[in-house]
Amino acid sequence: MTNRPSAIRQFAVLFVKDLRQESHTRDMLTSMGLYSLLVLVIFGAALSQSTIKSNIIQISGGLVWAMLVFTSLLGLNRSFAAEKEDAGLDGILLIPLDRSVIYLAKTASNLVFLLIVEVLACPLFYFFFLADYPLTTSLWLVVPPLFFVSLGIAGVGTLLATITSGTRGKDVLLAILFIPVIFPLLFAVVSATSVAVMGSEQLLSVYVPALALAAGYDVIMISLSWLLYGFVVTN
Amino acid sequence: MYKKTATSLMERLALPLLAIGALLTTGGFIMAFTTAPLVLGAGVPTPALIGDQMVANKLLFSQKIFYFHVPVALVSFIALGFTAIYGLLFLTRHDPAFDLRAKVATEIAMVFILMTMASGEMWTRYEWGVWWTWEPRLTTYFILLLLTIGYFVLRAAVEDPERRARYAAVFGIIAFVDAPVSLLVTRLVPTSIHPVVFRSDSGLPAPMLLPFLLALFGMCMVAFGLYHFRLREQVLHQRIDALKSQLED
Repeated sequence: MTNRPSAIRQFAVLFVKDLRQESHTRDMLTSMGLYSLLVLVIFGAALSQSTIKSNIIQISGGLVWAMLVFTSLLGLNRSFAAEKEDAGLDGILLIPLDRSVIYLAKTASNLVFLLIVEVLACPLFYFFFLADYPLTTSLWLVVPPLFFVSLGIAGVGTLLATITSGTRGKDVLLAILFIPVIFPLLFAVVSATSVAVMGSEQLLSVYVPALALAAGYDVIMISLSWLLYGFVVTN
Repeated sequence: MYKKTATSLMERLALPLLAIGALLTTGGFIMAFTTAPLVLGAGVPTPALIGDQMVANKLLFSQKIFYFHVPVALVSFIALGFTAIYGLLFLTRHDPAFDLRAKVATEIAMVFILMTMASGEMWTRYEWGVWWTWEPRLTTYFILLLLTIGYFVLRAAVEDPERRARYAAVFGIIAFVDAPVSLLVTRLVPTSIHPVVFRSDSGLPAPMLLPFLLALFGMCMVAFGLYHFRLREQVLHQRIDALKSQLED
């Protein structure tokens, strides 16, 4: 038998490689962080003339997700830019390892970056838009949807970003493919987040099924992407 | 690449099926307007069958849309299913013929999705009084349209035919799985803004069931016929291209 490293070891090496690369360049975190800040500025301008101040709590769930979807779109595009520029992915493909390990490593690193940006951007959103309003006791319930969506976005986004990274007009194409595919997840968590922020009586009747569907979407899409990834990176 | 294959049974069936389908759908529509009773809001034994929902307490002439709208919508789902099946076949067998079939199936799906949306608009306008609303059915169907558009944009963006086929197959499968999920999600998670009223009782009186089934089977045959004619056209097109490039050499 050869002394080939185990799949877990391969995963760890690829995952740490992405983290180390990011800690050197800070390419993704800087661009995603700044981009989410800019989206917040645009929200500020877009809402400045409206008199819906009392409704901001109602729409904040949707606004947070609008910000995070666009930010993650940018991040997913960036995550393969480096691999393409230095032919990094081609190098990885020369190694005799299971394609699904590459997928899982890339998904994990994208998930980590997305979570870091969310930890920075969501308090900023609160600071800019919600600081004047009393908080509901159920606010902590926004955390599980954040995690489930990040998982789904990283999961299916990594597959789609791999597809589009080798095409013409890749940035636009990723948006065209990614947004409709992510729609069910978005719909589910916007309602979960909204009821958590509002703290309405129907909390459990909406929140629990929404979260269950988000989890179901994650399971379906990640296993499908994991199975199909090999077809996307051949050669 | 594309050898001249013997005319298969399917191809010979295409023209007759298209003709029968056209006759059946026409017959179904005529019956829908003549023999099928008008739906009486809540008075009718089976109010759930009004295309989507929101039955008013009046004679719903606009419900006639149901005999066109629902068969067309069902066919669009079936066609999208074939996109996924042929995509899967391509990924396992690596035969470019499957890629072509997946592409043509998606084209058919797109045509039927557009027809569903166009007929749905009439209903929305006359029964709900708006051109568009973010109602769960409408929203998910719109997502379906965006997914098929994405499929063709993806195809156009990849030059290498082998890679294009692989990417399109993968996306076709993802899109087909995504469609029912998004249908499920919007129905199970009503938002606070849109209370959703769905009725689940079913069962159609015979004078309504017959034209509906005629239109449904007719529409399936029309789709099948269109699919085969488009496929044949595409195969011939590729053969001409191959001949042209041979002549140039």
